[in-house]
Amino acid sequence: MKKFWLVFAYEYKRQVLRKRFIFAILSMPLMVAFMVGIGYLSVTLNSNPLPVGYVDPYQLLSNPKQVPEAPSSAMKQVEVIRYESETAARDALNRGEVQAYYVVSANYMSTGEVTMVNNDKVGSNASSSFGNFLKYNIASGLPETTVTRLIDGNNMIIRSQDGKRELDANNWISIVLPLLSGVLFFIAVNITGGYLLQAVVEEKENRTMEILVTSVSPTQLMGGKITGDLMVGLTELFVWILFAIFGLIIAPRFLPIDQTISIEPSFLLLLVATFLPAFIVTAGLMGTVGAMATESREAQQIAGLFTLPMIVPFWFITSIMFTPNGPIAVGMSLFPLTAPISLPMRAIFTDIPAWQIVVSIGLLWVLAVFSLWLAGRVFRIGMLQYGKRLSLHDVFHRAQEWPICLKHYLF
Amino acid sequence: MPSIEVREISKKFGSLVAVDCVSFEVEPGEIFGLLGPNGAGKTTSLRIILDIFKPDSGTVKVLDGPMTEDKKNLIGYLPEERGLYQDMQLDRCLVYLATLKGLTEIEARKRVNDYLARFDLMDAKKKKVKELSKGMQQKAQLITTLVHEPKIVIIDEPFSALDPVNTQMVKDLLLEWRAKGTAIVMCTHQMHQAEELCDRLALINQGRTVLYGTLKDIQHQFAREAVEVQTTVGLPSDLPGVVEVQSHNGSSLLKLAKGVRPQDILHTLIEMNIPLEKFEISLPDLDEIFIQVVKESGGEK
Repeated sequence: MKKFWLVFAYEYKRQVLRKRFIFAILSMPLMVAFMVGIGYLSVTLNSNPLPVGYVDPYQLLSNPKQVPEAPSSAMKQVEVIRYESETAARDALNRGEVQAYYVVSANYMSTGEVTMVNNDKVGSNASSSFGNFLKYNIASGLPETTVTRLIDGNNMIIRSQDGKRELDANNWISIVLPLLSGVLFFIAVNITGGYLLQAVVEEKENRTMEILVTSVSPTQLMGGKITGDLMVGLTELFVWILFAIFGLIIAPRFLPIDQTISIEPSFLLLLVATFLPAFIVTAGLMGTVGAMATESREAQQIAGLFTLPMIVPFWFITSIMFTPNGPIAVGMSLFPLTAPISLPMRAIFTDIPAWQIVVSIGLLWVLAVFSLWLAGRVFRIGMLQYGKRLSLHDVFHRAQEWPICLKHYLF
Repeated sequence: MPSIEVREISKKFGSLVAVDCVSFEVEPGEIFGLLGPNGAGKTTSLRIILDIFKPDSGTVKVLDGPMTEDKKNLIGYLPEERGLYQDMQLDRCLVYLATLKGLTEIEARKRVNDYLARFDLMDAKKKKVKELSKGMQQKAQLITTLVHEPKIVIIDEPFSALDPVNTQMVKDLLLEWRAKGTAIVMCTHQMHQAEELCDRLALINQGRTVLYGTLKDIQHQFAREAVEVQTTVGLPSDLPGVVEVQSHNGSSLLKLAKGVRPQDILHTLIEMNIPLEKFEISLPDLDEIFIQVVKESGGEK
């Protein structure tokens, strides 16, 4: 077992201390930060700080007041200036004092009709500022909380019948995070699985394999590699989660985010229970392909055959969202290669029956054990096949050697 | 007790018989040459000894029993196809491979440094393996083979890519390890090296052992009926019992007529009062034996 840990430590350190790993691990949060920054910048650039004017010829608003600035609004509210006549408003517009002005129609209370007059493109915050101003002042006689409620609009919360699960329309981060975790998982599993694939093929290509197998049993060698790879993947996810927590703590200080992020512990448990065997499955299959292939490029092409099914749930995201208990969603959450993404995705939108969770995770573990076993066997047969790809026929035709292997190479 | 005992091992890959009933023993403190043309089955035999392949039949005993994980720590292997992690620093690579042979990291580091100094590789210690010359990589590979002080050393073509100075250094090293009591199995195509170093040898062709024994025994087995003579005067052209005389570098190779023994020629030369500086039974060198045996047993595969 000591050599197992030596291989494990070597594989882990070898991958984690490489520049490409550090680059990969930092590129994800940097990319997310960049995208958030771009989004914020886009909103800011589309805003216009100039006030808007309005004309209220029918005196619908008596003694109007400015809407108090919401501290966490992504879009800055602009000042709303009253003009006595449309001529005065137009003059102000022509002088560039306002970006646009609005004329409230006589039948506003029954139709909500308002006319906007502008010379140039108005900021995306102009109409929303004026809309809030109207709502705020029309409801000025009502209690403050009612006025705030009116301005904030609806907050639809969808609860399951047993009340255990709920979706809050305003708490969008809680919906996006599980989807994001699926994407992160897919990226992590592919990056680290790719490392393992490359490591095995490289050892065959540079002939280190022959030295290794005369020092360590194939089972310990492959086991150490796969476990090392698994830890590399978990390190990657762990660092990304740390970045995410850090980002969510510091982001509200710089960005107008007003969200209470609440993720249910049961959902986190489901994520861990699904991702762990899925990681092992991927590592085992990558190891198998590495042992079968003769060069890195060929190995990556073969690996695509089982990494591709993992992203299939994203193609069916609409179906999973709207019919999370439909046959497509259920089928994909039971099939081991699509389950890692589709099971947590379904869990956001529905209460998954316990039997489906048990079957899905159970099948994943079965496949995990099988892929490890297969990796060990294929590795043993294919480790010294330089320049010749191991065929499935070889793998199964030479199955008679396996009991001997087991006898000699158990820990 | 032999360090390696190979008994009638056979191995087939599909319809190809790679090894066919091969047997030999390697004693502690000897250099054993495993010779043969390309594709003869040498590497497969070595891989069976190393437990990389299982034989279809026959048995292999290593240090008085089947191969175990612990025994792997007592074996040093230099494969024909050299293999080191190309993107790693040389010392890190050697230390890792040494720890896989059971050394602690501290001990491995110390021994690797000693060997790097001995092999004149200290300056390359922090370089990546791929930055080293072929000869330097070969020396590094030898360090991997020997650093854990194995009881059995199995080396496949140890002199390839080495210049004469380093070839001599490796030879000295092998002789030093032999003196320590290590059993050394050496595969090589360089017959003069085998002749110089090996105590015993086996020649494998088409998966079968076609020669086995000490170098002297084998040479005597293939001794042509000739003597090599060096004299201070010229030899008469009509020496009785001699059918042909070949001169080379001041020596004469006398090919004897059928039924004539070397003693008869010696007796004749003394009777003729010819001053002798050298008289020896002419033995074929390994190159000649190799070519003859391979041709007779069916050439390369």
